[in-house]
Amino acid sequence: MRKFSAIAVAVFCLSSFAARAVSGEQLFDLLRKKMLTVKDYTAEVKMKINVSYMRIPTLAGTLYFKSPDKMKLERHGGLSIMLKKNINLTVSNMIPTGSVTVLDMGNVTIDGQNLRVLKIIPEDDQGQIILAKIWVDENSMLVARTETTTRNDGTIKMALQYGKYISYALPDKVTIDVDVKDFKLPKGVTMDYNEVRDETPKKETKNRKGTIQLNYISYQINTGIDDKVFSKK
Amino acid sequence: MIQLLRIELYKIFKRPRTYISFAIVTAISFIIQLAMISDGKSFIAFALQGVSEQFDIHGNVLNGYLIAYIILQSLLMQIPLLVALVAGDSLAGEAGMGTLRLLLSKPVSRMQLVLVKFMGSFIYTLLLIIWLAIIALFLSLLLFGQGDMINLKSDAFILLLKDDIMWRYAAAFAFAMLAMTTIASMSILLSAFADNSIGPIMTTMGIVVVLTILSNLELPLFSLVKPYLFTTHMIGWKGFFDDPVPYAAIGKSAFVLVAYTLIFLTATILYFNRKDIKS
Repeated sequence: MRKFSAIAVAVFCLSSFAARAVSGEQLFDLLRKKMLTVKDYTAEVKMKINVSYMRIPTLAGTLYFKSPDKMKLERHGGLSIMLKKNINLTVSNMIPTGSVTVLDMGNVTIDGQNLRVLKIIPEDDQGQIILAKIWVDENSMLVARTETTTRNDGTIKMALQYGKYISYALPDKVTIDVDVKDFKLPKGVTMDYNEVRDETPKKETKNRKGTIQLNYISYQINTGIDDKVFSKK
Repeated sequence: MIQLLRIELYKIFKRPRTYISFAIVTAISFIIQLAMISDGKSFIAFALQGVSEQFDIHGNVLNGYLIAYIILQSLLMQIPLLVALVAGDSLAGEAGMGTLRLLLSKPVSRMQLVLVKFMGSFIYTLLLIIWLAIIALFLSLLLFGQGDMINLKSDAFILLLKDDIMWRYAAAFAFAMLAMTTIASMSILLSAFADNSIGPIMTTMGIVVVLTILSNLELPLFSLVKPYLFTTHMIGWKGFFDDPVPYAAIGKSAFVLVAYTLIFLTATILYFNRKDIKS
């Protein structure tokens, strides 16, 4: 009995060691490989922009993505509004490509979810991404959050929720945190209807936080999308 | 009364100068539409400068709905003048031509005459607004197509979905009609004081210009009087292009305009009843 207990303890220790033995680099490679299985997708999306000065209803449209970095939102006759960035706002674009240095930052618990934190530093110092921090759910091998520091667009934070398309590592919901500047036009030009003026004093900050929420309703994955789709105005 | 109104409308629409207003509205709309066809993109790029620094906007931004809004905004000062051209002439024109005395020798009360003049001006204003809707909105939609509409306020960027715009225009034109009726009633009041039509027309325009400047000046000195100026409420039509629509504020503005209209009309009747008509 004592022998059996010792063996059980040893097996448990070995297995937990084996689990931890997946290094940060290996974990990152596995993630990247999983993401690369999606070459393109067409998704029906609903987008909600929550920015202090913008009053925009939920916009429904079709989002086209083609690996590595082509993305377009089409609104079937309506206007499409996307955050202006030098990199496209998809998870695969938030993670550096090419040779990288991976730093394992250990585990954290966020909203009851145990996540492993990796810091990724690209070796190519000319690329858009300077540093990426990703929170990985090791059980499902999915990226739960990203925080990407870019050369020209500041830091972009993304939180992802998965559902029906978990096997492709494609999210059902993405929330992007954005820094937005103040918006002002001369009242003499706009001739506002003063009766609806908001009298509450506003903070004099130059940069304000906002969020963009993308809800993916359905995906059509790896169907092959013509490049012309992305060049159409 | 109906017969009298018919005669009044006949007089209004028989005069060639009545159609000057329709021609001016058409000309201004055409000029703006032409300018937008040739250089609209750079105009939009300039207007959206602040937003496009941070967001990419794709699609038919320069659509008929936006063009119509630009036209309406541009005609803010001109339409009252065009309304005054007819309303300011209603009583003073008769006095100037020497027909007022003759008119009042018929079995018509002075109050009836004022009301007929008011209704005649109202119908003329209604037709002018309908013409404006045809030229500014429907022609723009034909030329520039449909699309979501961007409305820029001094501190907000508002996007209205294309299926959610037409009712706003219907409501905005109805509100504009109310605002122009106020101008017409003021013009008729001024017309009752005068014996030639130039005076009431010019005075109406002068009042509208001065009060509009007061309504738009962001100075604390004027903030006390602004809520009581009808020009502050005349742009209430813009409220229908806000999101959410400020119904309470629009309702208040409509109430103020109706109150002014009734005050002007009552004052006209009271004054005209006692007026010594010499011509």
